[in-house]
Amino acid sequence: MNAFMGSWRDAPDDAVLVAYASGDGSAAQVLSQRLVPRVLAQAKRMLADRAEAEDVAQEAMMRLWKIAPDWRQGEAQVSTWLYRVVANLCTDRLRKRRSLSLDDIAEPADPQKSAVAQMLETSRLTALADALAQLPDRQAQAVSLRHLEGLSNPEIATIMDISLRSVESLTARGKRALTDILAGRRAELGYEDE
Amino acid sequence: MLDDLFALAQAKPVMPSDDLMARILADADAVQVAAPAPTQSIWAGFFDIIGGWPSVGGLAMAGVTGVWFGIAPPATVTTFAADLIGTDVTVDLLADSSSYFAETLTDG
Repeated sequence: MNAFMGSWRDAPDDAVLVAYASGDGSAAQVLSQRLVPRVLAQAKRMLADRAEAEDVAQEAMMRLWKIAPDWRQGEAQVSTWLYRVVANLCTDRLRKRRSLSLDDIAEPADPQKSAVAQMLETSRLTALADALAQLPDRQAQAVSLRHLEGLSNPEIATIMDISLRSVESLTARGKRALTDILAGRRAELGYEDE
Repeated sequence: MLDDLFALAQAKPVMPSDDLMARILADADAVQVAAPAPTQSIWAGFFDIIGGWPSVGGLAMAGVTGVWFGIAPPATVTTFAADLIGTDVTVDLLADSSSYFAETLTDG
């Protein structure tokens, strides 16, 4: 298996995906090792919930496996496609979350941190995800790609299939809305004395 | 505050668990197995329809046998045909032309 995986080490994602569609047994492992960490991280940053992020990562990769036979090599980047799929899946979940309480989406404790620090960090990340959930889907996607994934505006324009001007507008409006939403929670999140 | 929250979210390392990777690879295997076989050539499809290479061998053998029966039919075939049709006709295609060629060569 390692010998096969070594042969794909320098191949672009779409070439490995086409190999997977052709029945190559090692291609799925190569793609998973490359893509799942980033897919999971994107979902975790948007949702602030490990279990939900894992579900999104699995669903996004499932969609990738299913689309593989129809993938046209060289036309689109697998990473770009995945950013879009994960952003859509996350905003779907954020939308459903609007009716849930914050306690329902609490993050499990990290034993390496003190209980107080852990609670504060969890509260802050959950508050951010909760605030994202209140934005319109496109704004939430643009803000998360820009400020959580650190992508450039042209990259976001490609991923969301919109103009640069639209990206700038969505991120600016989204950021302002987030600030307004979170303004009332400054004390609760430990920012009152800053 | 917002920038601090963004930085906090970005700083949190997230590594996929072995269980998640196993589930994703199981999905990949299931989809790969369920997917239709890669497109094959027209000839491969034709051979599959008629039963594969054993059938092609049988067809070839039958063809050769038919040609051989046409050139040198066994006596039983000739007798059977005569009994069935009620007549026995023999056509010699080579005798006259052979002598013609022989004469031409002799004269030339």
